[in-house]
Amino acid sequence: MDDSREIVCIVCPNGCRMNVVINHDNNKVEMVENALCEKGKAYARDEIQCPKRSLTSTVKVIDGVLPLVSVRSDKPLPKEKIREAAVELRKIELQAPIIYHQVIVSNLLGTGANIIATKEVSKR
Amino acid sequence: MLIKKDIIIVGAGPAGLAAAIEAKKRGRDGILVLERELSAGGILNQCIHDGFGLIRFNEALTGPEYARRYIDEAKALGIEIVTNVMVQDISRDKTVTAVSPDGIKTYKAEAVILAMGCRERTRGAICIPGTRPSGVFTAGVAQNLVNLKNIMVGKRIVILGSGDIGLIMARRLTLEGAKVLAVVEKLPYSSGLQRNITQCLDDFEIPLLLSHTVTKIEGHERVKGVTIARVDEKGNSIRGTSRKFECDTLILSVGLIPENEVSLNAGIVIDETTGGARVDENLQTSVPGIFACGNVLQVHDLVDYVSAEGEQAAKAAVEFIKGRGEAASDITVRAGSGIRYVLPQSISSGRDITFSMRVTNPCKNKTIIFKDGDTVLKKRTFKALNPAEMVRIDLKAGELRGVLNMEVFIDG
Amino acid sequence: MTSDIDNLFDIIIVGAGAVGCAVARELSRYNLKIAVLEKESDVAAGTSGRNSAVVHAGFNNKPGSLMAKLCVEGNEGFESICRELDVPYKKTGKLIVAFEESDFAGIDRLIENGRKNGVKGLEFVDAGVVKRLEPHVGGIGAMLSPNTAITNPFIYTVALAENAAVNGAVFYFNTEVRGISRQDRLFRVRAGDTFFRGRYIVNSAGLYSDRISSMAGEKGYKVYPCRGEYFILDKRTSQYLNMPVYPVPRPGLGGLGVHLTPTVEGNILIGPSAEYIKTKCDYSSTKKVMDRLFKEARELLPPLSMRHIIRSYTGIRSKLVGPKTGGFGDFVIEESEAVPGLINLVGIESPGLTSSVPISRMVRDIIANREDITPKSSFISVRKGIVPFRELTIEQKEELIKEYPDYGEVVCRCEGITKKEVLDAINNPLGVATLSGIKYRARPMMGRCQGGYCLTRIVDILNNEKGLPPEEITLRGKESKLFTGKVK
Repeated sequence: MDDSREIVCIVCPNGCRMNVVINHDNNKVEMVENALCEKGKAYARDEIQCPKRSLTSTVKVIDGVLPLVSVRSDKPLPKEKIREAAVELRKIELQAPIIYHQVIVSNLLGTGANIIATKEVSKR
Repeated sequence: MLIKKDIIIVGAGPAGLAAAIEAKKRGRDGILVLERELSAGGILNQCIHDGFGLIRFNEALTGPEYARRYIDEAKALGIEIVTNVMVQDISRDKTVTAVSPDGIKTYKAEAVILAMGCRERTRGAICIPGTRPSGVFTAGVAQNLVNLKNIMVGKRIVILGSGDIGLIMARRLTLEGAKVLAVVEKLPYSSGLQRNITQCLDDFEIPLLLSHTVTKIEGHERVKGVTIARVDEKGNSIRGTSRKFECDTLILSVGLIPENEVSLNAGIVIDETTGGARVDENLQTSVPGIFACGNVLQVHDLVDYVSAEGEQAAKAAVEFIKGRGEAASDITVRAGSGIRYVLPQSISSGRDITFSMRVTNPCKNKTIIFKDGDTVLKKRTFKALNPAEMVRIDLKAGELRGVLNMEVFIDG
Repeated sequence: MTSDIDNLFDIIIVGAGAVGCAVARELSRYNLKIAVLEKESDVAAGTSGRNSAVVHAGFNNKPGSLMAKLCVEGNEGFESICRELDVPYKKTGKLIVAFEESDFAGIDRLIENGRKNGVKGLEFVDAGVVKRLEPHVGGIGAMLSPNTAITNPFIYTVALAENAAVNGAVFYFNTEVRGISRQDRLFRVRAGDTFFRGRYIVNSAGLYSDRISSMAGEKGYKVYPCRGEYFILDKRTSQYLNMPVYPVPRPGLGGLGVHLTPTVEGNILIGPSAEYIKTKCDYSSTKKVMDRLFKEARELLPPLSMRHIIRSYTGIRSKLVGPKTGGFGDFVIEESEAVPGLINLVGIESPGLTSSVPISRMVRDIIANREDITPKSSFISVRKGIVPFRELTIEQKEELIKEYPDYGEVVCRCEGITKKEVLDAINNPLGVATLSGIKYRARPMMGRCQGGYCLTRIVDILNNEKGLPPEEITLRGKESKLFTGKVK
């Protein structure tokens, strides 16, 4: 049996309201309607089968010109791991200097995603 | 002593940086960017979330990453950016006075580009009743404190207003261990982007209470609680719908206002609706040779268009210095039914023009129509229109030929 | 805890409002040991810092009353005090505007009343003159009071306090008086976490002056709190108003009616309302009054728009007349018969600010009548405030930046306040270390963005230059912490 659901795309600011047709028996996406691009369709499929989110946060820096460095995941994480990942980042202290796009944590919580710095922080 | 420059750009945020780079690429050398912060990048520095650059770079960059691309390019081009300097005055003759710990400097420019950004509407401006304790922040200030200064603003938080910064901060504060009790929005629809409601509120099960507002702030020292109530169509609270949230913090995301205080000194005419300068299709203000772009012109929801506007202003400024681009823009553009404002407010015919506008209310399957008297110049139908999302529509020179008086409105 | 042997004073002043600080300053001219006990974290935290900031001329008050006498006296001397203590002062004059024929009788009454009180220069002016003086205000005629002025009541109180402190008075903040007893011939005052002993108590506790008097043994006073709400408008509105504009008062009102007042800094104040309330600490603004204030203000000055509002605030009058009686009582300025040495200053509502120095002289006379007090040769009569950089010429600014580069760093964009001024406010002579203390001394955060730009900068300055960690910064002392800790 098929079921359809509206999903608002978060990939880009267009925010397409996609209609997703799901096969109830195997929870597979049969069809995505009203998406303006392929990325949106992929997002819709993921959102039903294994929703993912990017993580952006900060990490504490010692002896830096700034007390924090902004970071992000280099690819989306499973949505249910986001909170845990944020808690994980709270435990880290880095020594300045931090280089742009330096890997801060690799393979965070076994998700395969790395956490990288999104700016540089020089030493104080 | 008067220091001469070709173009002075006020503000090194995304608009100012894009303008500087574009002007340089068009062959101008005497470019000076004046920035009041200690480093360039503007508000992007505190916007550590991603989603920037999807249109320009087809990538979801974070704010600092987006800024870095422009800062690096400006550096590579040898553009002079002076930081920690505050522009105090701009005169009609494009004399710019700026103060810094090095002293007061006076510049004379051929053209000036305003790129000062915007500021946040405050608790005082929206007249929330109650006491005045600590613990009330605007969302941008909270974002600065949390993301740049390592300062936590609260533990139990109510957010008033569903602007994008408020939504982003709801997620940010939740991830840092705070409890966000609710986002309260006076209007029957959100003033933020749908994608932010999904990934910042829904993901964390933060309730969005539409048609509600904060009717009272309590607490003599720190915030102890806020009362919220449902509002009717006129925005008045409805009796018997009040409930109290015990919280220590109230964050406001209730609107942004272009920062035009210095522009006023120059005698620039400000549009009552946008809060920004009235401009022509060259983004030239009512003072010849002074241009405006980015959030100081109109509040944007996407940085990509801020950069584009910066480039457009720079292109026009370069033309202006060459003695071109002074075509009389005497055709007025009027926002009609369903359109809150449309930019530019005046145009000349004979060239391609991008119009940007916002609608008054959310609507579905509606057509935006450009009309000159009884003549329809252009129509475009949208599946959904939302006040939170700026609409941009290009008209070709051909479509604008012979136009005398233009109106933009929503059909029906 | 210090032993109360150390805290022995001639004079203990309770309350650091305008009156308490004026008394402290006046008495600091003499060889007297003075303590000022204040329950809040700064001076002028109550009624003194929350009013219309008008130096009244004295035509409103009942002939023969202390209010009338001291107000006229205070008005005459106010400018010279402000000059001595570097306090903003502007003699704007004031209009009481008639909107209908029936208001003319009220104007005649005021002129006659003013004449009896010895107020100089009051005159009726016709609509043409009103139009010339205040082009945006309507009205069919008005009374012009040329000697009414405006000041900054917070700076005024700070200046009195700083000058008193320089001359030896000691200020104790966050020091609420909890009990008063007699021991030998001295008062023993339990306040904060310590004891003070003194020969005299000057009760200038404003809203709480009834409680202080009662603690000292003189019962029978009752102060009724009567709240007034205000709006502050953007400086952009300064073009619309040159002087305070009031409607002709209608009888029985517990205040002077909703009026418009320019501030010395260029804002406009709308207010106050007048509403008797139950508790003395309820500084809430209310929706009902906010709506009404704005509506009435626009009737006086049509160009005003809601967009001009940048903040609301409230003040609470300490009235000796309750809601049933209405109107005004009179100041009580006397030594208690029941408790010798207790000098009560009760019922000090408007025009208390204007009258503060004459009141302080009356207190001095009360003491001088009981004992010989000798002037100090070392008394310093002048005080300098924070230099308002924004008001200087370009040449003066350049000179100052050369000497102090911190003048070249603009911290508050809306008001044009520099880092040097913020530092001067942080390093204030009274040692007040709150955010609102900085705000009211140097004016950052008082503009249209209400700290949106400068709050984070001030937090940095406090942290970097004074070693005050952000998590310890308070808005106004006690539990008013600004932040809840570090993120990480």
